[in-house]
Amino acid sequence: MPDRTEAYESAGAGWRPAPFLLALPSLAVLVGLGFIPLALIATWSFWSFDFDTYWIKPAWSLASYAALLENGRATVFLRSAGLAALTATASTLLAVPAATAVGLLTGPRRAALLLALFTIPFFTSGLIRAFAWRLMLGRNGVINNALMSLGIVQAPVEWLLFSDFAVVLGMVAAFLPFAIIPIVLAFARIDHSVIRASQDLGAGFWTMLSTIVLPLVLPGIVAGFLFVFVVAIGTSMEVQLLGGAGASSISIMIDDVLRVANFPLAFAIATVVVTLLILLIIVAGRVLRPSRLFESLGI
Amino acid sequence: MPHNRGNGPLQSVLCQLTRRQLVYGVFGAGAVAAGSLGMPSAAGAADEINFWASGTLDVGDDGWKTIANDTRVKVDFTDNGNDPGPVVARLAAGNANDIYDVGGLQGGSEKELARRGLIVPWDLSQIPNYASLWQWAKDIPYLTYQGKTYGIPTVINADSIIALRDKVGQVDSYGIIFDPKLKGKTAMEDAWINSVIFTAIYLKNSENVQIAEPGNLTANELGVVMEFLIKHKRDGQFRTFWNGWEQGVQLIASQEVWVMTGWEPIVYAAQKRGADCYYAVPKEGYEGWSNNTILLKGAVNRGRTKAAHQLANALLSGFYGCKLGSTRGYVVPTDNNVAYAMAHSNTFDPARVRELAEHVKQKFAGKVYWQNTRPDNFQLYETWWQRLRNA
Repeated sequence: MPDRTEAYESAGAGWRPAPFLLALPSLAVLVGLGFIPLALIATWSFWSFDFDTYWIKPAWSLASYAALLENGRATVFLRSAGLAALTATASTLLAVPAATAVGLLTGPRRAALLLALFTIPFFTSGLIRAFAWRLMLGRNGVINNALMSLGIVQAPVEWLLFSDFAVVLGMVAAFLPFAIIPIVLAFARIDHSVIRASQDLGAGFWTMLSTIVLPLVLPGIVAGFLFVFVVAIGTSMEVQLLGGAGASSISIMIDDVLRVANFPLAFAIATVVVTLLILLIIVAGRVLRPSRLFESLGI
Repeated sequence: MPHNRGNGPLQSVLCQLTRRQLVYGVFGAGAVAAGSLGMPSAAGAADEINFWASGTLDVGDDGWKTIANDTRVKVDFTDNGNDPGPVVARLAAGNANDIYDVGGLQGGSEKELARRGLIVPWDLSQIPNYASLWQWAKDIPYLTYQGKTYGIPTVINADSIIALRDKVGQVDSYGIIFDPKLKGKTAMEDAWINSVIFTAIYLKNSENVQIAEPGNLTANELGVVMEFLIKHKRDGQFRTFWNGWEQGVQLIASQEVWVMTGWEPIVYAAQKRGADCYYAVPKEGYEGWSNNTILLKGAVNRGRTKAAHQLANALLSGFYGCKLGSTRGYVVPTDNNVAYAMAHSNTFDPARVRELAEHVKQKFAGKVYWQNTRPDNFQLYETWWQRLRNA
């Protein structure tokens, strides 16, 4: 089978735009909507707040970055990253068997139906989703009532709500589809003849899963983990509604400082987060190569 | 304080778009072209006012139509989200003055805005109804700057404690919020604007802490107040810090917390859901607040000063107070409301209007400390709030 380049050439098309020109619109969008705003935010994070204009002035300073290390703001970064990592890990662990069921054990119709079911959380707003957990987990909520009526506990379990447990639970429920979909895509790329060959050679289900399937879907697992981590680290809804008194997250902290017009500090927080996330994605991309998901697509 | 039921980012964006802005968005290019051809622009008409205020101050299409009939001022209302921080930021560093003529803002930011020339003083001679304002409402600090009036108190109330009767009995002090016997059963609002002043009022009056003005704490006073809050947070005193109307109602209605500082309308909503709760009368005093009408500099630049004054006058004329009272339970601090209700008893119940006014007046007969959305050390407040979050 001729490769695509040959196919294009043999088609004998007259003028063909250079690849760079074809990429130009996407590049313009990426630079205009992505790079330039981020560069501006990074630049402004080094400016100073001007009490006279209530805006920022180009008086270069590292004060905002120094402020990141004070008043527990660094702790907010670590806590947010920790909760996001927990959420991403739990989501990935749940997503692997779910995606296995979709990818290996069902036909295309059932797979589509199951995938549709997994996207149900997206049908409603995040606010309502998170709020519903309060009704489930509260002192007089469904779960505590069930535990008490079954005689499992004598008094309501307090830590079910307004705790890190509640935050992680709310985030896993909200972001699980972000982990499932890349893993399902990874499953879709597995050549079933490989699985049949392993079975012909006597591999049982678990051997086949651990030695053939999991290595092949690893790029999907990595991509799913990263998707959930990135979304979870930027969320505030679940932390605000389900976390303890005054629980904070990076976006809550940005909100707080914007309320007092401390723009340079807000920009510094955003710059640090974006930089760390880009680094994380680069490292994960190099080490775990989620890009393998797209290899056979010729991308 | 006036509150909005939807605080999500999308809701916030959508509710800040008026129909006119959407139409402008769609037909913007055409409008620009028409303008360049010298066609008359309806948006430039002098009797139109873009009113940018807390969503709960909106009296709806029929309400604004009545005001337009009375004053010939057509109001295009836009919700400003109620949170003073973003409103002030958008006035100072955004495009608010390019779009809006009149604002409605929780009191305290007037001085900052006036000093930077972002708002202009009202000419009270053009607002005859100003004379009818209750005197103590006129005396609110923060309304004036350099002797000129920048804020007209348009909605007024005082906040305190919401308590579940069968759980905590009769409450008369903010001390109940910090009572160790109720550990894990109390809550405060996740906003320093309210929670810091409540704590300062308590410490000043019941713990004899030297605090001059609970609404405008010095750095030292703020430190004492925040250390007190941090200690109680570390002790597990607070079940949560609530955020937004629905969360407040749910906490009380589900008995997740037994007592919390909060807004009076939460009591009525929770009662409707079956909670035996009430609004306490604290011996330390209430947190008074007013939502003030301000004249944006942009209105002057666009030649809409007269129309803006007509609107400010109309808000105090009685109809607006009756309408807001019947739909939201809020009080405009003037006796014109009762007079209007008596003259229009087929539309409004004069007894109900009077009852509402008396209820608020009674609160203000005692000790009241005014909420201040922009204390002198406002950035220090945020710093301390961050420490509290991480405690």
